[in-house]
Amino acid sequence: MAGVIDQYVASLRRELDFDPALARRLASEVESHLRDAAEADPVWPSVEAEQRAVERFGLARGIAAEFAADAVDRQARRTWITLAITVLVTFVAMRLRVIWLDDGAVSALAPLVDRYAFIAAIAVGVIGWFAFRRSLLAPAICLAGLAASIAAGIVRAGLFADGAPPHVLLAAAGEIALVGLLSFHVVGLGRRLRRTAVLRGVGR
Amino acid sequence: MLKGHLDAIVLAALEAGPAHGYAIIETIKSRSASTFDLPEGTVYPALHRLEEGGLLSSTWTTPPNGRRRRVYSLTKAGSAALADRRKAWGRFSQAVDTLLKGGRAWPA
Repeated sequence: MAGVIDQYVASLRRELDFDPALARRLASEVESHLRDAAEADPVWPSVEAEQRAVERFGLARGIAAEFAADAVDRQARRTWITLAITVLVTFVAMRLRVIWLDDGAVSALAPLVDRYAFIAAIAVGVIGWFAFRRSLLAPAICLAGLAASIAAGIVRAGLFADGAPPHVLLAAAGEIALVGLLSFHVVGLGRRLRRTAVLRGVGR
Repeated sequence: MLKGHLDAIVLAALEAGPAHGYAIIETIKSRSASTFDLPEGTVYPALHRLEEGGLLSSTWTTPPNGRRRRVYSLTKAGSAALADRRKAWGRFSQAVDTLLKGGRAWPA
């Protein structure tokens, strides 16, 4: 039968399931801490000494919530950096398309979506950066705006047709890759926000 | 209130030399005469955060008793951050101290 310390370490590992590498590292570190603490207890060796060491350490869920909140901060930083790079690359790619290609005139709507979805993404991004840096909504709206703008830009310039210069195609490929990376980060941010809420007892 | 200063407290606890999590907590308890009786686990998110920020470095060691421990030490950036936080705390505590001592009424 597992001891009190073993059970605690196992529960901490479960609570840290959002970051398996951290869970592995911390399990080993915390176990060593708890055994030191139990051995320093006057009633060692006993179950009571292990229990007291675990009680002094604090609830596994509360400690995991602290780590989850830090993970949200790191993921939010990654998301905003990727968002800024995506905006920059999208802007450069838009300019390249305007310089090198005529409008494909596939759709009258495409130029409007291309321009205004990009402007909306920047506006939401600026507001989000200053007011809602740890929220999911602002980067998600920016992602949708940028994706719409990029798709419209590609349709507008007729990049699917033959004859587009390689550097314009390369810029478009860069935009698509960055939107993919941004989607990955936005999904990751959402997952970490939900996990933090669950660990703090305010979500499901 | 203490939580907001935990990172600085952990940096200060490591100023004397490298230590593992349990030793850091014991240092904090003894140097604060048990005033800061934190749940011991709260020090680990702070250690991890400080290491991610480049203020601490860590390495696994196995001392003669055979128990593997992760030992943390201040980096150069960590020492500089501790000096900055000390200055900021000095200004803040002096200002609060002055206010709490009271003073004369605003001239009418």
